[in-house]
Amino acid sequence: MVFSTLACKNNKQERTRGRRFPWLAMVALCLVPLAPARASNPAFQIDHAGTTLDGDVYHLNANISYRFSQDALEALRNGVPLTIQLDIQVYHQRWWWWDKDLASLVQRYQLQYHALTKRYIVRNLNSGGQHSYSTLGGALHALGDIRKLPILDKNLVSADTSYKVRARVHLDIEALPAPLRPLAYISSGWRLGSKWYTWSLKR
Amino acid sequence: MFSGKTPVLLLLALLLASLYLMSGATHNSALFSRLYSVLLGINGLAIVLLVALIGKHMYRLVQQYRGHVAGSRLTARLVIMFIVLAVTPVSVVYYFSLDFLQRGIDSWFDVRVEKALDDSLELSRTSLDVRMRELLRQTRQMSPQLANTPDSMAALALNDIRSDSDATELTLFSPNGRIIASSGTDTSSIVPARPDDATMLQLRQGSDYVGLDPIRDSGLHVRVAVRVPSPNPVGESRVLQALYPVTDRMNTLANSVQAAYAQYKELAYLRKPLKYSFILTLSLVLLLSLLTAVWAAFFSARRLVAPITDLAEGTRAVAAGNYDKRLPLPGKDELGFLVRSFNEMTHKIALARDAAARSQQQAEAQHAYLEAVLVRLSSGVLTIDRNQVLHTSNPAADQILGVDLGAFVGRGLDEVRREHPHTRHFIDAIAPHVVEGEQEWRDEIILFGAGGRQVLMCRGTLLPDVADVSAGHVIVFDDITALIQAQRDAAWGEVARRLAHEIKNPLTPIQLSAERLRHKYLGKMDEKDADVLDRSTHTIVQQVEAMKEMVKAFSEYARMPRLDLEPIDLNAVINEVLDLYRGERSVKYLVNLDAKMPRVEGDIGRLRQLLHNLIKNALEAMESRGDARLSVTTRCMEEASCRFVEVRVQDNGPGIPGEMLGQLFEPYVTTKPKGTGLGLAIVKKIVEEHGGLLWAENPPSGGALVVIRLPVLTSNRGDDESDLTLALVNHKGNDDAAA
Repeated sequence: MVFSTLACKNNKQERTRGRRFPWLAMVALCLVPLAPARASNPAFQIDHAGTTLDGDVYHLNANISYRFSQDALEALRNGVPLTIQLDIQVYHQRWWWWDKDLASLVQRYQLQYHALTKRYIVRNLNSGGQHSYSTLGGALHALGDIRKLPILDKNLVSADTSYKVRARVHLDIEALPAPLRPLAYISSGWRLGSKWYTWSLKR
Repeated sequence: MFSGKTPVLLLLALLLASLYLMSGATHNSALFSRLYSVLLGINGLAIVLLVALIGKHMYRLVQQYRGHVAGSRLTARLVIMFIVLAVTPVSVVYYFSLDFLQRGIDSWFDVRVEKALDDSLELSRTSLDVRMRELLRQTRQMSPQLANTPDSMAALALNDIRSDSDATELTLFSPNGRIIASSGTDTSSIVPARPDDATMLQLRQGSDYVGLDPIRDSGLHVRVAVRVPSPNPVGESRVLQALYPVTDRMNTLANSVQAAYAQYKELAYLRKPLKYSFILTLSLVLLLSLLTAVWAAFFSARRLVAPITDLAEGTRAVAAGNYDKRLPLPGKDELGFLVRSFNEMTHKIALARDAAARSQQQAEAQHAYLEAVLVRLSSGVLTIDRNQVLHTSNPAADQILGVDLGAFVGRGLDEVRREHPHTRHFIDAIAPHVVEGEQEWRDEIILFGAGGRQVLMCRGTLLPDVADVSAGHVIVFDDITALIQAQRDAAWGEVARRLAHEIKNPLTPIQLSAERLRHKYLGKMDEKDADVLDRSTHTIVQQVEAMKEMVKAFSEYARMPRLDLEPIDLNAVINEVLDLYRGERSVKYLVNLDAKMPRVEGDIGRLRQLLHNLIKNALEAMESRGDARLSVTTRCMEEASCRFVEVRVQDNGPGIPGEMLGQLFEPYVTTKPKGTGLGLAIVKKIVEEHGGLLWAENPPSGGALVVIRLPVLTSNRGDDESDLTLALVNHKGNDDAAA
């Protein structure tokens, strides 16, 4: 039950975010021609993701590799916190209508360099937990290694429907300092994100 | 949608929002930070909207300018003026603002400050290093105590050790990183923080770890990880991790240094983006205010010019004759006053025009009334001015004078005189009165026209001067020929009756006396005297007989017997009478009778006499001619809603002498050596008895023409449907021209 409320709450978050989304998408759409996509450019990638049913709760396990651009790394080293957002959606496909979302969840992580201790701090903005790592690689590894993230209560899933789960990560430009944002929107070095990674929800 | 005050307010609100955004940018507040992108988007949208709006206005203005629409030139001038007025100061401010911005932001950064911050960071680290080394030593001393402690007893041992040290948390890890036991003062955090992979690697390689770790809520901690000596020499060593808090004072100072450094570093890194962002914001605000100003320029120019355009249109409308146009009042300023005055003016003009139209209508009605009266008048009416130019005439005048005077309106009477010579007497008679300017005059004028002799009674009055017509005369005249004729006829009738009565009575005694003388003395006298007596009495008797004949004719003329009226086919009567004359003389009879002739009501005997008299008269007139030709024509006519039958008897004789034309039908008017002179007088009498009309004229083709018109019997319209019969009778016969 705990997770069902969590899912609901996140759903709401998603909706509020969605309201702002159209014009962001519009702006992004306008800027697409400015930055032709490159295959090996810095980007995030979900190497593997899957769900396991543990008790009454579905958990997410995922391996994500983050490759930041030089722009992003320079900003990080200069103390600018980077926020990474992980979107997870559980839905079922309907051939006769649009897909129906069962639950959607947003996880936000913040990566920051602590100059005094020379450590990289990874903060989970949803739970508030934080860890520090002496190297960027360690921090990124910790960020990319998602284990047992509860996403869905079993009670919400009906037995006779097949569900799909998808996930993606991206750098949240809106969380950057304001002066950086206009630049970030039009520069490909800042628009970092993965494609949707989709799999079936196993029972 | 884009007119009125709503968009103005909307844009003002946007402008204010932009200004707020700008001030927010300076302080980098959280609220601004959150709304930044949204505001940026809104402002961008506002700019696009404004540009579209201005583009629309510009396009419209250009169109109007090219189309020479009223007010477009003034609008264009005002717009350009407003724009120049707005752009110039704003541009100057913009230029200097940019300059200040660049320099202002640059002035925040100083190499010395940067160095000092670096140094303070280094200093913090150094001071913490001392403490860290101390703590590493302490932890290293702890680790041997655990060397022989089995995993199951580790928790208790850790508790003991921790209570003897400053550590807030002690954790024992297995060589593969699993937690064996943990002891901590902070009970809220159940799961102790595990050293990261790099630290574990370092430990496995044989070196201990000491480092600072910023932990949420509880500030900086010193994390120390040391290997615990293993009792088994080949076994891998466990790891003891200890967390030591930094003193509050130290923590605060270090945090302060870290915060300041981080902020400065970030700011330094963001220097360029910040500049760009400020310039962007400033440009946005500038562009917004500039575009708003341009738009406002359009708006206010239009508002200013609208009443002027209205006035121009109003003036055009008034020029085109539309006085009902009212202009909307723009306000209470001078333009409003002007528009109000204009409205009043058009209102007054409209009133004046209506009044003029009304009076014109009245005048026209009066004129039409007078015209109607003039048309119905049986007297001829003419008005002429001092120069004898004709101004008005009525149909009666046309009829009496036999001239279409309507064609001569505006022309001199001389022209009438020239073109219609028979009016000569009339015009000559009135000219002296007009020339002399007599106040009132009266004259009797005798005319000789196609209709014969006419006697006109003429009255003239001087007209008063009227503004546009020079004073002239109004001349009223009546054809009194018929009146005079009637008087003359009445007189003749009286004479005839008297003669019949007074002369006839003594004739019989004279005759009887003469016969007695003859009977008594003829036998008694000698041959010679007897012969004288015989001749004398014979002469007396003969002459008395002739006188009796004459008196009889007279009495016949004077007598007014009762008419024996019956419907008569006039064509049949004409043929009947003509048959009597055919074969008498070599006269060519041209008979053209209308087959559709309706019947007339008349006395057949008298109509026969009428025809006899007419034909006889014509034959006598043509006595001397070899190619005598008599034409008799009948037709049914309708004129002025009056239906009548017309009989035309025309000869080709010498015609009627001009001086006789007017008196032809009077008794004892004759050109012939023989005859009583009563033939045509009787014709006239009969026609008049039948309610008809007759006249004689000399047609242009020669000879004389007598026209008789008799009213049609109203009950038998269109009885006969037979075709028009044209009978040409050419017969040679003996001359019988007895009158």
